[in-house]
Amino acid sequence: MSTEHKTPKDFRRKVERADRWSRRVITTGGYGIIISIVSILLFLIYQSLPLAKGASINEILSMPATRSENPVVLTGVDPYLEVFYELDNRGSIKFYNVDSKALIKEDQLPLKANEKILTAAKGNLTKEIFTVGSDSGRLITSSIEMKPEYTKSGRTIEAMVYQEEEWQAATENDTIPNHIEKLTFVENSDGTRVWSWIDHTGKLWLRIYDAEDEEEYLYDLSEDISGQITSFSLSHNAENLVVALKDKNVYWFDISDFEKIQLKDRWTLETIADAVNYLLGDQAVAIGGQDGSVSVWFPVRSPANLFKFRKVHEFISHNAAIDQIYVSSRNRNFLTVDTKGNVKLHYSTTGQTQLEFKPADFPVTAAAFSPKSNAILVVDGQKRFSLYNLENPHPETTLKTLFGKVWYEGYPKEEFVWQSTGGSDEFESKLSLIPLIFGTFKGTLFAMFFSVPLAIFAAIYVSQFAPKRLARQIKPTIEIMAALPSVVIGFLAGLYFSPLFEEYLMVIFLFVILLPLFFLIALFIWQRIPEKMQARFPLGIEILFVIPIGIITLVFAMSFDHVVEQILFQGNFQQWLYSTLQITYETRNSLVVGFALGFAVIPIIFTVSEDAISNVPESLSSASLALGASKWQTVRRVVLPAASGGIFAAIMLGLGRAVGETMIVLMATGNTPIIDLNPFNGFRAMSACIAVEIPEAPVGGTLYRVLFFTGLLLFVFTFIVNTLSSLIGDRLRKKYARF
Amino acid sequence: MIETESGVFLEKTKKDEILTPETKIDKSVKPVLAMSNEKIVIETKTLDFYYNADAHALKNINIHIPDKKVTAFIGPSGCGKSTLLRCFNRMNDLISDAFHTGEILINGVDIYKEGTRLEDLRKQVGMVFQKSNPFPMSIWENVAFGPKVNGINDKDELNEIVESALKQGDLWREVKDRMQNSALDLSGGQQQRLCIARALANKPEIILMDEPASALDPISTGKIEETIEELKKNYTIVIVTHNMQQAARISDYTAFMMLGELIEVDLTKKIFTNPTQKLTEDYITGRFG
Repeated sequence: MSTEHKTPKDFRRKVERADRWSRRVITTGGYGIIISIVSILLFLIYQSLPLAKGASINEILSMPATRSENPVVLTGVDPYLEVFYELDNRGSIKFYNVDSKALIKEDQLPLKANEKILTAAKGNLTKEIFTVGSDSGRLITSSIEMKPEYTKSGRTIEAMVYQEEEWQAATENDTIPNHIEKLTFVENSDGTRVWSWIDHTGKLWLRIYDAEDEEEYLYDLSEDISGQITSFSLSHNAENLVVALKDKNVYWFDISDFEKIQLKDRWTLETIADAVNYLLGDQAVAIGGQDGSVSVWFPVRSPANLFKFRKVHEFISHNAAIDQIYVSSRNRNFLTVDTKGNVKLHYSTTGQTQLEFKPADFPVTAAAFSPKSNAILVVDGQKRFSLYNLENPHPETTLKTLFGKVWYEGYPKEEFVWQSTGGSDEFESKLSLIPLIFGTFKGTLFAMFFSVPLAIFAAIYVSQFAPKRLARQIKPTIEIMAALPSVVIGFLAGLYFSPLFEEYLMVIFLFVILLPLFFLIALFIWQRIPEKMQARFPLGIEILFVIPIGIITLVFAMSFDHVVEQILFQGNFQQWLYSTLQITYETRNSLVVGFALGFAVIPIIFTVSEDAISNVPESLSSASLALGASKWQTVRRVVLPAASGGIFAAIMLGLGRAVGETMIVLMATGNTPIIDLNPFNGFRAMSACIAVEIPEAPVGGTLYRVLFFTGLLLFVFTFIVNTLSSLIGDRLRKKYARF
Repeated sequence: MIETESGVFLEKTKKDEILTPETKIDKSVKPVLAMSNEKIVIETKTLDFYYNADAHALKNINIHIPDKKVTAFIGPSGCGKSTLLRCFNRMNDLISDAFHTGEILINGVDIYKEGTRLEDLRKQVGMVFQKSNPFPMSIWENVAFGPKVNGINDKDELNEIVESALKQGDLWREVKDRMQNSALDLSGGQQQRLCIARALANKPEIILMDEPASALDPISTGKIEETIEELKKNYTIVIVTHNMQQAARISDYTAFMMLGELIEVDLTKKIFTNPTQKLTEDYITGRFG
């Protein structure tokens, strides 16, 4: 001592320094917690904010019309946006470098002298294969490859044109050659190619090359259609063909059976459709009208079990007739182009028109999405070529798709659906958060039903009625339950308890119903016992009576479950549920989760409310007892109201825990994102959904951000619960607990 | 080892030794003072009280408490005055491990007799605690609490009881316009008078007061004392106090206790002027305390 503090002054200084430092450390700790919570919140917001961002474009290239005097019929760009090509109506293909605008390669389609291309169509969303139709009745199919070559100086794009096949349409007489006026073409993943075109007589033809059997088919569809055709589109899987007519009728042909083309549906539009096009997924058709209207239609199962095309989404109209529609190969985006040169970008699932622009004051002759849908290219009537960078990271999420009902392709009506990923890129992701929010609340509700009464009654018993010695043992025992990892509870509930629950469902039901009944009977008998004998049992021994009553009830339930099942439920409860109430029984259902999750929150609710009840000053209960109130009257009228703030806080804490709990709901629910109050169904909670899907979600993708947004919702929800709990708790404390 | 009635063998504890069948009531022992000319309301016979086997708090207490009089218990801290007071309405039952030997009679009836309802006893013997302890409810609810838990539900009847109790507790004028306000908004003295009124609402026979004014300022204490003065016309009051002047002012009889024993009981005047016991005199004159 004496060596350290030479004088009292030194000692003072040392104490002050220690004070100062401890104050700093404590302050840092306090602020640290606030900062870390705020930064978690900010991080969640930062990750989910891009979802709210709309689409935007900026022009990266505009090349004036100095290249060719012939009109451009087709255009395209490589995936890296380095090289684009143009095909003019004389069959000349020119490749340009995007950066230097220099012509890097020129190629020629095998056209005869004076032969002109009247129409051209791309046949695949992922590769550059196209067919041109000429004024001499020829269909020339070619493909373009723009392959990156890695050299010392860096990456260059090597462009190649391959001739795939040629076909000559039959001519009636030699003087008037067969013109291919308008053409559509697809090559599906099997290599099967389908062409459909209108010739100069207005006839609609269908030619199929079946790659598997190497056979060709040719059909004249005009026999089934009467009227002038305005537009038509083949689905990318080569199974459907829709044809729009001048009389506003639209025909839907099923061409999946090449031997037998079938007319599946016919419906009438409000306007003449000058442009129709199948969207990605081959279900929905975008239709652009002469009046400028844009709508998406897809087949919906009718009550008669027939598929009928229905108008599902309607978009912002153009001011002029729409003559072209281009679809994205990545998502449900499509472009509509009107005759005045206006271009609009729409997204089918959301029904949203995302943006609108006008490349020039001339009509657009050709346009396309880049292969990765990250750019739009447009060639206008003055042969000016423009390339726009398209920034549209999350077109599938709007407030409406996250929280509202959406009519998805193949669904009979608008629904809340969570189905984030499918088998292929063509899958339409369904990202409604409502089933997840519902699941979270369902799980929480069942857990609270189970845990709140148990925990609070236990707290009342332990703090007010149990003998001190017993209370001293019960409390730590229940608190140890809190130390049980939730993954263990989830594992036991999901793999052990739920099959057991299913097997002994009737026994458990009977037990739950009979236990209170047997208790009442036991209490009745107890009251009949003379007081002298009652007094011989020490206080707290009643716990020992609970066990035999429980066992008796269990034995009773186990021996009568079959009888009850026979009498009330036709021998099998699960089947009875299904046949009479149309309720399916799932092994991992909400009741099991209610028990398991309840088990996890009981310790919290118990501990906090037990403390609250124990903290009610003895003077209050003494006063009540001294006024002749019984123990129960004292508890009910004095102790519980005084502890109500704490009990409320306990319930809210339990609620917060149940909402955020992940492992139990993950393992014991089956994770089915359905909206159904049926207690025998599973559900998918927000927390479990994040845990299940985040490993598979591509970083920065829509699913990834939606999951972060779900996390943000959870955060906000627990924040609200906690704030409410402290606000209401404070009020209750002010009212009842100023002692 | 002893064999209990149920045939279970238990380790013989100290408690069992105290509670041997020989500890019968010794009728021959006379109370320290029997006030023959008064009607006796509370009577204890060879009362011994233990908080546990090692804490013998009351030793051989024999006391008579007369009807419609104020009896004060005085004595140094820890002498057992409050313990004795709490025996009269069996508040000590709440303490686990505590037990007693001997008898406590109220109006000649043993309060530990089989079939005695604790609720009835406590309705008959009201209590006011040292620290005011109003319930966190309205003033009206506080006073009506006793009658309500004892089965009175008629609103008019309750209103009448509340008014009369508050008048007797000398609080009516101060609170009649704010009966629905929280009792916790009252001042300390008012709260204690509210507690008195709350006890009175049960229409008890006896009111036990455990240092009712010790936490109050002199003016509030004065008011409480006035109230007690008024109440003794209708109630038997037993009051524990640390304040000898207070005992001298308000009580008719005073009992002096020390180390769990009842040293002397007599008319207050006599105790304070001419006590029989040397110990009493030493305490009264302030030689210890």
